[in-house]
Order: sequence, then C-alpha cells, then structure tokens
Amino acid sequence: MIKKIKISKSEKIILIFIILLGVLFLTSLIILKNKCLFVKNFNPDKIQFNNPQNIAVLEASCGNVIIELYPSISPNAVERFKTLLRSRAYDDVAFHRVIENKLIQAGDLEFGKRENLDYGKVGSGKSGLGTIKSELEVQFAYKRGSVGLARTFEMDTEDSQFFIILQDEPLFEGEYTPIGKVLYGMEVLEKIKFIPKFQIVPRPDFINSFRLLK
Amino acid sequence: MILFRAILLFFVLINPLNANTIYNLIKIPNLEIYKIDTKNGLRYLYATNPFMLGINHKKNINCYNSDKKTLDEKFKVIIKNLDRYSLRFLKRINLKYIVLCEDLSIAEINTAGIPNNITRTLILDIKFNESYFERAIHHEIFHMINDSHEELFDEEEWKTFNKRDFKYSKCSTCNKDWSLELLNNKYGFLTEYAKSTVSEDMAEIFSHLMFYKNKIYIDDPIIKKKVQFIKNRILKIDNTFSF
Repeated sequence: MIKKIKISKSEKIILIFIILLGVLFLTSLIILKNKCLFVKNFNPDKIQFNNPQNIAVLEASCGNVIIELYPSISPNAVERFKTLLRSRAYDDVAFHRVIENKLIQAGDLEFGKRENLDYGKVGSGKSGLGTIKSELEVQFAYKRGSVGLARTFEMDTEDSQFFIILQDEPLFEGEYTPIGKVLYGMEVLEKIKFIPKFQIVPRPDFINSFRLLK
Repeated sequence: MILFRAILLFFVLINPLNANTIYNLIKIPNLEIYKIDTKNGLRYLYATNPFMLGINHKKNINCYNSDKKTLDEKFKVIIKNLDRYSLRFLKRINLKYIVLCEDLSIAEINTAGIPNNITRTLILDIKFNESYFERAIHHEIFHMINDSHEELFDEEEWKTFNKRDFKYSKCSTCNKDWSLELLNNKYGFLTEYAKSTVSEDMAEIFSHLMFYKNKIYIDDPIIKKKVQFIKNRILKIDNTFSF
C-alpha cells in the first residue's frame, strides 16, 4: 500500500509560484501578440468637426486615423485625394514604406494592392489619373501628423501616394504638397508594421478602408 | 532559378536605411542642418563627415567636413552675400540648398563650388582661396542662373563681343593655373580664368558686378558690352533684381 505523502508548506508555495508564473507567461503572450491592445480607437461619429466635408477616416489594423484635409492650402491635391477616396481606391492598399518614428507611406494603387502586391515595383505605381502639379505656394509647417502627397525626385509628379509623418520635418516644407493633418489616431499609425533600419516592409500592414466622412 | 529569384528579391527588399531626409531631398550624404529659417528661403546644410558624389563607382566629387569655428566664421560671410538674392529670384534659378564643406574637388581639381539646378543645390568650399572667396560665391550663383536659363545666355552672341582671333579653351578645368586675379590689361577679360570658357567668362563678369557693384571697368568696350548683356539677361529673369 502506497503511503500518501503530505505536501509540505514550502512545496505548496513553490507550486503556487509555478502556476502563477505560467499564468503570467500565457497572459503576456496574449498581450504581446495583440499590438493594438492599448491603442484608443476613435469613433468619428462621436466627434464634432468644424468641416466634416474635409474629414477623411483611414481604418488600419489598430483602429481609425482621422484626418482633416486642407483644400485651402492645396486645392488640386486635395481634390485628387477626395476623388480617390470617393472611388474607394485606397482600400486594401499596403503601407509599403514605413520608417520607424519617421514616416508612413501608402497609396500605390498599381503595385500596392493586397491581392497583387508586387515587392519589386511597389512605390512606383500610378493611379491612372495622371500626375498633378506640386502645390507649394502656401507656407505649411510639417509637424508630426502632417499628411502630404509623395512624389518622385522631380516636382509635379504627385499622383496617389501619400505619407504621414511621425515626427516634425521642417525640411519637408516647400518640398512636398501638403494635403492635411491627423486629428486623431497617431497611436494607430505608430503600430503599423515596420522593419527597423529598412524602408520597404515585407508582408506589410494594409489600409482596411479610407473614406470621406461625408 | 527559384533560389536566384529569392536572392534577388532579398536584395531588392532589404535596402539598408542609410537615407535620411536630407539625403532623400538632395542626394548628398553626411549632411546636417546648419540654418533653415532664412529670409530668402535658402537652407544651409553642412557636412558632418566627408562625402563623395558621382555616378556609380565614379564618385569624382569630394568634400570634407569642417570644424565648427571655421563653419561659423564663413557662414557669416556667405549669408551676407547670399542674402542679396531674393526668394523670388532664387526660385527662378532653382536654388534652395547651400552645402557647406571644405576642400571641395571635382576630378581632383579644387573648385569653389559645384552647382546643381536639378537638386537645387550649391556646394560651397568654405576654405576656398580667401582672396576670392566672396566673389566666388556670386560666380557659382551665376552658374546656377545659367544652368536654369540657358536659352537666355546665347554663347554665340557672347563670342561676337570678343576679338575675332580669340578662342576659348575647351574646358574650364583644362588648365590648373588660370588665375582669378584681376588683369591689368583686360582686353575684354577680367581674369585669366574668364578666358577658359564662355560660361566662366559670363560668371566672372557677373561676380565682379555683384561684388564690386557698379565700379566695374566700363572703360573697356568689350567688357562694357558683356556687362550690358549680363544685366539685360538677369533682369529678364527678375526685373526687380538689383546689382
């Protein structure tokens, strides 16, 4: 007959400690895996805007980014942007160029779509609407959250690609056409996938949807 | 084949991020902001480390970083001269960035500056010969003007100002000994260097006009014609320009 051995007090403590450790490990795994856990998601319907016709809502994996567009600063660029938003052109388009704490770029409608992402060409695609002229006459301070249209090395080559800056960029002023600024959701942008020290992101995050509020 | 493609894709995608904002804008590495809030919109950058420029492996433009004391001293001189150009004029000649470095050379020949109207950049050697340093700034500005408005500066017309038997050299770097010293007997040329090419001749006239203002050599009939040509063309670019 096997004699039942009573667990000592110290063994009980060790057992509880191991169980606690396991629970903590599993919890932390879940928390770490969910990069969006502490990111506040703003509901545009619950916010009052002065110019709702110039509000655009970008839905990314961690929530909404609410952007105010500035037609008074760059009328043609904002009009182009609104045209693309109305046609839902940006849905399922990759954040193909993400530089940690610096900028996020998306909007390649030709080579950046989820279903036919082309790593070799992403960033060089066109919208099919042609290029537009750079609009740089009005002074615009490129502060964190500013949104601008990307271009090639030459001026007047803006099309559909846009960028959002994650830090102040005074050198961008007079270089890139500004189209707006992020009002809410910078934290969402900071959670977009990037690879440290690299610009192009393999298996990137995508824009779920990008719409005008009204 | 699959392996080859995978390796190729790896190199395409894994593009090391050595690029910063300044590099993205003007394609010159190792630069930092010196001053950007200027009244005429010029942005001054300085080299933090030596840099080489050029196409592929032929990087034949070299320049070196300078110490802070030299940089601060020379910046005062440079901004005093460049502040004479308005934002409006600078926009029309495609100049926005001034890069400050020392011992600037192209193909191992020292030069005061290298203009590039595509990148809207002028690289200046802040340790260029002290005697001509200020005037050389305007000389290089002229090259920006000329590069941006070639149609205005007709070289054939310019050549007709010179004596019939005079011929310019094949290039401005063909001879290392061309002097920037003002000639006593000018005969249509302010310096020996002006005899090198039409473009350098024009730049010498312009730089003397800017540096010595209107105290310039109208007793020489050829130079008088050249001065009139330059003034006339500059005013076509910006009729508010003052020499």
